[in-house]
Amino acid sequence: MNSLLKVENLEMYYFTSKGAVRAIDNISFELMPGETIGLVGESGCGKTSLGTSILRMPTPPGRYVGGKIFVDGLDVIPLPEKEVRKNIRWQKISMVFQGAMNCLTPVYTIGHQMMETLNEHADMSRADADSLIKEYLGYVGLPPEIMGRYPHELSGGMKQRAVIATALFLKPEIVILDEPTTALDVIVQAQIINLLKKLKKQFNLSFMFITHDLALEAEVSDRICVMYAGKIVEFGTNEQIYGRQGPAHPYTERLLAATPRLFKKVEKLHFIPGTPPDLIAPPKGCRFSPRCNKAFGRCFEEEPPLIEIEPGHMAACWLHHRG
Amino acid sequence: MADIILSIKNLKKYFEPHQSFAQSIIGGGQKKLIKAVDDISFDIRRGEIFGLIGESGSGKTTTGKLVMKLIEPTSGQMIFNGEDVTRLDKEKLKEYRRKVQMIFQDPYASMNPRFKIKDVLEEPLIIHKVKATIEERTKMIVKALEEVKLTPAEEYMGRWPHMLSGGQRQRVATARTLILNPLMLVADEPVSMIDLSTRAEILYMMKEVQKELGLTYLYITHDLSTARYFTDRIAVMYLGRIVEIGRADDIIDNPLHPYTQALIEAVPEPESGKVNIIKELPIYGEIPSPANIPRGCRFHTRCPYATDACKTEPEPELMLDGEEHYHACRRAYEIKAERSAKAAG
Amino acid sequence: MTFGDIKYRLNEFWSEFRKERSGLIGLGILIIALLIVIFEPLILPWKDVNTKWRSIDYWQDNSANAPPAWTNAFTKLKAPVTMRLEDAKKEETELDGGIKLVTYTFDYHYTADKAPLDVILHITGHGDIPFQVAIERPDGETIDLAQRFEQGLSGQDIRLSIDNDGREAAFTFVKNYESQEALEQFSGKSLRTADVLFNIAQPGMAKEFKPLKGTYKLIAKAMLLDPENSSVEEPYIVVTGSVSGILGTDDSKRDLFSGLIAGLKWALLIGFLTSAISVLIGVMYGIISAYFGGAVDSVMQFVYQIVNSMPVLPVLIVISAIFKPNIYMLILVMVLFFWTGSVMTVRSMALQIKEETYIEAAKALGAKKSRIIFKHMVPILIPYSFASMALSVPSAIVYESSVSLLGLGDATIVTWGQILHDAMQGAAILKGIWWWILPPGLLIAIMGMTFAFLGFSMDKILHPKLKTR
Repeated sequence: MNSLLKVENLEMYYFTSKGAVRAIDNISFELMPGETIGLVGESGCGKTSLGTSILRMPTPPGRYVGGKIFVDGLDVIPLPEKEVRKNIRWQKISMVFQGAMNCLTPVYTIGHQMMETLNEHADMSRADADSLIKEYLGYVGLPPEIMGRYPHELSGGMKQRAVIATALFLKPEIVILDEPTTALDVIVQAQIINLLKKLKKQFNLSFMFITHDLALEAEVSDRICVMYAGKIVEFGTNEQIYGRQGPAHPYTERLLAATPRLFKKVEKLHFIPGTPPDLIAPPKGCRFSPRCNKAFGRCFEEEPPLIEIEPGHMAACWLHHRG
Repeated sequence: MADIILSIKNLKKYFEPHQSFAQSIIGGGQKKLIKAVDDISFDIRRGEIFGLIGESGSGKTTTGKLVMKLIEPTSGQMIFNGEDVTRLDKEKLKEYRRKVQMIFQDPYASMNPRFKIKDVLEEPLIIHKVKATIEERTKMIVKALEEVKLTPAEEYMGRWPHMLSGGQRQRVATARTLILNPLMLVADEPVSMIDLSTRAEILYMMKEVQKELGLTYLYITHDLSTARYFTDRIAVMYLGRIVEIGRADDIIDNPLHPYTQALIEAVPEPESGKVNIIKELPIYGEIPSPANIPRGCRFHTRCPYATDACKTEPEPELMLDGEEHYHACRRAYEIKAERSAKAAG
Repeated sequence: MTFGDIKYRLNEFWSEFRKERSGLIGLGILIIALLIVIFEPLILPWKDVNTKWRSIDYWQDNSANAPPAWTNAFTKLKAPVTMRLEDAKKEETELDGGIKLVTYTFDYHYTADKAPLDVILHITGHGDIPFQVAIERPDGETIDLAQRFEQGLSGQDIRLSIDNDGREAAFTFVKNYESQEALEQFSGKSLRTADVLFNIAQPGMAKEFKPLKGTYKLIAKAMLLDPENSSVEEPYIVVTGSVSGILGTDDSKRDLFSGLIAGLKWALLIGFLTSAISVLIGVMYGIISAYFGGAVDSVMQFVYQIVNSMPVLPVLIVISAIFKPNIYMLILVMVLFFWTGSVMTVRSMALQIKEETYIEAAKALGAKKSRIIFKHMVPILIPYSFASMALSVPSAIVYESSVSLLGLGDATIVTWGQILHDAMQGAAILKGIWWWILPPGLLIAIMGMTFAFLGFSMDKILHPKLKTR
């Protein structure tokens, strides 16, 4: 099967006055049709940066430094912005931005704001657009009257549904979901997750699901990509990460241990002391080594490559290097 | 009889919706009251961590504000440390505020961005006119910072809030409450805006401080999974009412109210094999507006088990089941049977 | 807060402030302005400008609308600079009959390409004294210019203008060189004395001015007929040139540099007091209105609306009819109308701040209303207040001048606004008298900018969020 999206050695740095922040540092992966890849990691590890980079709109002062992004076999990085807006963004890949539901303009109706997004990416008559919006509102479980409502009249869950509908208008193949349920209550979160699963099947979508919540990731993602300090540290299937054998990388392991479980009474929750490193001058060797409790000599000296430790399961850790 | 530090009896808080002058003339007397907190009663024991769980719109934050006395109750009674604190004059209120402190949800917003950490921590001392020399005050600030494990304290004192991470700020917020040696802390979603990897760290720190200083916490959250780890007892709120209350383990392992059951089932667990399953949630739709509370049992509009009695008969009061486990569902046992039958077959 | 605490905070503030370049520029300008105000008596070329700004006599020796002296640097034909000669060589000779002759000799180094407009002798005398003025040119010619016999003097200032009093003598001098034919076209009346005196003595001199450069000796003689009872003192000579001073003169011959220096203190006073008091009132009014809300807010907004919609001029006219306008009165009246300027913005900002979590946190800690307002809300509005102050400084200065226009200004002082107003009246723009308009205009702008610079850099320091971005 051909991949829908192929990212090859992508590098994207933020060029600040203090130096280049290596937000995305040599990242490669492939997204298959109908698949959901989960991106997890602490805040500041480059999850959102990767999302916007794939959409070919890195947040300034971010710039591509190297690598390629193939969407349907076409490298989108060298394409002119006009071309991207016409053929790629929203047509092939769309995104539900983090906190998008709180970024709806309070003075316009939901319908007006959805229409605006539509006009930006497609030429369509008003009547067509109107019926298209209503159709998609139906798919996300909202009544068509919502179009005339203002954001403050809707609950968080309804707003998020509207945002999701907006992302699906132009029948993209890939949807990047950046923390789509943060700030929502658990029940609403579960409802939205159910909705996403339903839509995925209905439209044969591929998702990139960005969240810091490993528990949530377990519910939605076929494959999990764990990021730390701009790099992929572990990449595996849902079973490989959450299954009995447990994750391979100490970072994933400890992140999982820090995730509270409802049905397991624990005396002491685990946590990872310290904070992610400064990406202007990352630590020598493995970037996680200063916080890692399993680190040994080599970890502080040499950066571990991402290697396949079992079929379909990759990790970047010296513990898995034999010999 | 356990030692009760805060007793809340039939507490209500109704808000009048904002109306323009013209509206109030046209609308006449038919103003819809927003019943944010609608007759709740519970006791918090000295030295325990009491969890108040609910969705947004359940009234849990309003309850926290009532306990903090940031707003005045419409009716009901609050007894703190054996003293009626429902209505307090200025002096008494200040005294009360010294004993009951609050940690807010958003560590970014709960500190004045123009105050250095030192100023943030000094503020309670100034407000409560703690007589001390600069050196003594500095010592108190250092001690508070050390209690929340922000060391070296001197280094943090000179920083601005924006230079700290969310976790560090929440530590400062905790230190600010500890500096006056309070009896009770109200923590409103203290970790919901903090990264998962540090969330546990903050909760751990808070629990350590609580054990060390013998504090009582009122922990307000929508997150059941941290509540289980963190709290001793839990009250579940729905639309301004407590629908279930009991020991944290009891509530989570043996929920009796269908709302609690829905809450629990909605929580994601980090386990494999759930990707292709659409979770069946025993709940419909979204929480109604507190200005428009359904008649009968207020949960019946969303309850998959509701019968006609639930819609028409007056709302059930809290009923005791087992040891200090109360619930407000008249069909609790039938539902339990139904659910176990379903699980089995 | 103890003294040590304040010192610490100031130190801290300064260590941040010194990193702000624009703030330092603002502070620098403000310090210079304050120094100028303090050392005003030393700087002023015309010492009595504060009291004699509207006196015609005080300025009569100047030329009207003279450009600044330094404009010579840009012109081919150098114009003579107005100057005052005070160093005189004094000689006393006893004449027959107990008469004493006092002779003062002034040296004037003439280097310009154009003739001065006038040469004026000032002397103070007592008793009955005949005066005589003569000039000795570099070519050796001596011309007796004028005589005058003053009687019964008691310390008055005698003023002898060569242009006026020496015209006949100059005509006579020209006659020595010009043919009768040439002279017929001229009369003594149409000839300017100075054009003759500083001209090279040769045929055609009446027609064309060719400067005779060199040292001229101006000789003033006073005859003390009764030396016991009469005396002369303090002689000085003013050479009225066509360029004058650092910033020229206006059409009333007033030295603009002196006027602007004297106006600086009033500009600072009017600008600072008016804007500071009105912004202070406005900010407090807005905050209180927002913080208390409800009925208090409604009443305060009502009062605000009334004041805001009140026409300023009629009220001002009434007030100035009742009271004699002076500068403090004007400031008070301006404050009375200016405070509304910031109310609405402050109120809406305060309404937002009021809802911030840290305000709630302060309440939860038990903070009093006053603490919340002054420690939490006011500091956040300080940057806005400074900006608002910086903006109302120039408008206060200009407003003062428009009030002067109605005759309601304080006639006992010099202000920049009045100078600008005079310039407008004098059609300075039409006449191209830029030195009358630009300096006061620029100064008003610089004063406004100074406060803006200070305000914005203080904003940066007091608002740490901005620093990181």
